[in-house]
Amino acid sequence: MRTFGYTVAGSPADAVRIAASTPESTFVAGGTDLLNLMRDGAEAHDHLIDVNHLDLGERVDAGSRRLRVGASARMRQVAEHPTVRREFPVLSEALLASASPQVRNMASIGGNLLQRTRCGYFRDSASPCNKRAPGSGCPAISGHNRGHAILGGGDQCIATHPSDLAVALVALDATVHLLGPGGERTVPVADFYLLPGSTPDLETAMRPGELITRVDVPRTALAGRSRYLKLRDRATFEFAVVSVAAALRTRGRVVQDVRLAFGGVGTRPWRDAGVEAALRGRPLTGQAIAEAGRLLVRDAEPREGNRFKVELVQRALVSILSDLGGLR
Amino acid sequence: MKSLVGQGVARVDGRAKVTGAARYAADNELTGVLHGFLVMSTIARGELVEIDTRAALAHPGVVAVYTHADMPRLTLPAFPYNRRFIPMQDTRVHHNGQPVAYVLAQTLEQAQEAANLVKVRYRAEDPVTRLEDALNEAFLPLPFRDRANESIRGDAAAALARAEVRIDRTYGSPMQHHNPIEPHTTTAVWDGGTLTLYESAQGVILTRKAVSDAFRLAPGQVRIISPYLGGGFGAKGPTYPHTLLTAAAAQLAGRPVKLVLSRAQMYTSNGHRAEYRHHIQVGATRQGVLTAIADTSTAQVTRTDENVFNSSDSTIHLYACPNVHVRQMGVRLDLPTSSYMRSPETTAHFGLETALDELSHELGIDPVDLRVRNHTTVDQRTGRAYGGKHLLECYRTAAEAFGWARRDPRPGTTRDGDEYVGWGMATETHTYNWNESEARLVIGLDGRATLRAATQEIGTGTYTVLSQVVADGLGLPLDHVTTLLGDTTYPIASVSAGSATMPSLVGPASNAARSARAAVIALAVADPRSPLHGVPAEDVVIEAGRLYARGDRGRQDGYRDVMARHGRGVEVRGGGTNSPGRSFGAVFVEVRILPRLGRLRVTRVVTAHDLGRVLNHRTARGQVIGGVTWGIGFALMEHTMVDPNTARVVNPNLSTYLVPVCADTPSVEALFVDRPDPDSTAALGARGFGETPGTGVPAAIGNAIHHAIGRRLREVPFTQDKLL
Repeated sequence: MRTFGYTVAGSPADAVRIAASTPESTFVAGGTDLLNLMRDGAEAHDHLIDVNHLDLGERVDAGSRRLRVGASARMRQVAEHPTVRREFPVLSEALLASASPQVRNMASIGGNLLQRTRCGYFRDSASPCNKRAPGSGCPAISGHNRGHAILGGGDQCIATHPSDLAVALVALDATVHLLGPGGERTVPVADFYLLPGSTPDLETAMRPGELITRVDVPRTALAGRSRYLKLRDRATFEFAVVSVAAALRTRGRVVQDVRLAFGGVGTRPWRDAGVEAALRGRPLTGQAIAEAGRLLVRDAEPREGNRFKVELVQRALVSILSDLGGLR
Repeated sequence: MKSLVGQGVARVDGRAKVTGAARYAADNELTGVLHGFLVMSTIARGELVEIDTRAALAHPGVVAVYTHADMPRLTLPAFPYNRRFIPMQDTRVHHNGQPVAYVLAQTLEQAQEAANLVKVRYRAEDPVTRLEDALNEAFLPLPFRDRANESIRGDAAAALARAEVRIDRTYGSPMQHHNPIEPHTTTAVWDGGTLTLYESAQGVILTRKAVSDAFRLAPGQVRIISPYLGGGFGAKGPTYPHTLLTAAAAQLAGRPVKLVLSRAQMYTSNGHRAEYRHHIQVGATRQGVLTAIADTSTAQVTRTDENVFNSSDSTIHLYACPNVHVRQMGVRLDLPTSSYMRSPETTAHFGLETALDELSHELGIDPVDLRVRNHTTVDQRTGRAYGGKHLLECYRTAAEAFGWARRDPRPGTTRDGDEYVGWGMATETHTYNWNESEARLVIGLDGRATLRAATQEIGTGTYTVLSQVVADGLGLPLDHVTTLLGDTTYPIASVSAGSATMPSLVGPASNAARSARAAVIALAVADPRSPLHGVPAEDVVIEAGRLYARGDRGRQDGYRDVMARHGRGVEVRGGGTNSPGRSFGAVFVEVRILPRLGRLRVTRVVTAHDLGRVLNHRTARGQVIGGVTWGIGFALMEHTMVDPNTARVVNPNLSTYLVPVCADTPSVEALFVDRPDPDSTAALGARGFGETPGTGVPAAIGNAIHHAIGRRLREVPFTQDKLL
């Protein structure tokens, strides 16, 4: 790990100002991912700006129209918040399905959204990786790719985004609030993550020096009827092989509204408007769900190690919608 | 007085361990110590062309950066040194992650950062990295440590040809790593011509041999200190390059050097379980009597050695079978040398116990019944009758506790809601070793006893059990006995591997206690100042540290009083021979599977083991829980991924090399057949046990999966994609 400087920021504006005047700096909150990345040589920073002590108001604030989650809220606080559990079950479930209790006590919401892929080639500084060292190549495409994406990849990068929380937020149409040298702005979380394309090193819509200050989630009846299903290689403390965040509202058997987002299968938290449109306004039947599932994977590009995800993600979709829609 | 041996005595070192008072190898803070960090090769095969150390040397705090050009010439030691080359002696690169430079700095962070600044240029050659790419070059390796890689009994081919029923299948397991929680660590201190190493070692005596050979020193010039280990699982049995390189770096620098391997470095520095394939053919009669077993394994070896570490022992000895042919083939790949890992039998055992389940299904014979029909009371390797083998009782008690009689044998018939329930079982066995050992016992002026032996506490309870044995032998309370281990200045004793610690040490410890007790009694009865003066020695009984005249409890003395009057300590040595042997058991598991999502849970585990006399029920149960947990890991998740092009390990960390967490592991009902083994000369009839539990778990889980959903899985790990 490179030797680095360290400053504790007192306010968001302070943090952004320090970042603007400090080359090769980045923000640190819980540090549960960043410090490992720096130890492994996957990231190198000359200076860390501690944003654990910013005055961002209430960390979890349930307003009448939206849930406001401060970026420095810990995963555990959000997961256990009574309003979140009652009215945004998918958020609580996605968080509780993440990491371990120890990590959830440390890791912040902002940091969770910015955690880096678990691709072993990305995290090994001696391996080529277009995300870490643009132009150096992608060994995952012909190497070990069980954990990798079947959707949204290409010949440059097939790494998945590891955050469960991000998948849930994408399903709930959340927005990310940013503060930077140019002031405040908001970005829908669906636009926050970028496809790798020819620049897999660019992962988010954040501009240099910007800080996530909070995440807003619209408070809707739909959010209250949501679930998170996570499939993985051990019972807990493990990233998703496939996950689905779903919210469903039906009248009679007919789908009034549905939101679906997928983890473990895409190069970013995956949402496909076409899949939701295929279900909306139709009776929720096994056949309708199966058709939606086929639509989801129509452009899938599986590789040797992750071919099973094409089938598994469709089954996961059947499972979660059947449960939510009372088909079983 | 009730004996301590056999009770579930709590660990005597438990408090020290959980409070941090126990000093592990890297906990030693030596004045003037430099911190080392290794620079590892990033190619798997080729030559070093240039090592540019300038940037590293310019880094703050860096004292030296050594390469092969600087290192003293070392002598290649025989086993236990587990490589056929010493890195940094020349320019050859034999595997990815091989040490190529050694950085010394004032702090660990400085050394690590400087290591990143060392620039290495290579002339790379294409490595061969996958077993499947070189299967046609498989060969029968030379015997390793006097064990041949081919074993023939009868004529398996002929018997297979005329067998009424045949099973012919291949079973596979991937590369796996030991992953002890404490990383390998060495601190080397030279004092003139003598070398002290603070080491995390499963065998201090073995390590001393490798190190003294490498540096051409007399054994007495090398001291290895290893009082505690944070797990080993075989990874710390052999000696590895980082130990020799650290001693060499300390010699060059003229200062103590401490090295702690990073977790990632542990995936190329200290062995692994090689990838294995077992082609197993079983022949049997319609009544389920085995007539032939052929087991050809193929495993990764290297271009520099051909050592096969996971022997197909189970195939050779576990069941009565007149015709057995075992071959252990090797395939040379550009990977590090593999090693012993946990129970070496496991790879073969997984294949054999799965094949038997396939046979039972084929014949319609209950899996337990099939094993009972092929039970043997005779060691199939030597032809000698077992003195006390209670495997049949293990089957019976475990099956009963599990409720096996209620099992509907038809696959896919038992459901609970959406889940399919499967029950499976397997036999467990492990061949334990015996190594010549001695113990020194001193009774001090305070009447307390201290036992010393150069064996180790690998985490299994050696301090506790040896203290129990000594306390019983002397008639002292447990807290008047101290056991000291893990130091080559103590009497030569067994490596803590191959479940050898107890069978090797219980005899010497109990013999030493008996001698010391006799010596103390002799002092008392000869001393006119003792109330026991003149009592015949054989009429003195000892309870809780007090010596009494038999039949006249009014005449009594105490250890402390006897020793104080004597004015000098009593020192005795205990030895004793034993021989290798076997422990046995049965494991029954229940799995629940949701096939549409490929989700599997192990929900119940019941074991029964025959391990001779159970010395401590608590630590024995600990061994079972640990073994079962590793067995679940082997079955469901463990898998080292090696990049096919570069031979770099892709998941060298505990975040992506999955081991079971609590939620994967149900509570284990551990039953014991607690009978002294007349074959074991370890006083008390104790056997080696630690590596026995777990050997059957992967097959039992696979067999349960077959019972649940009718699908036969022959390659671990059984991940969800295989269960869809």
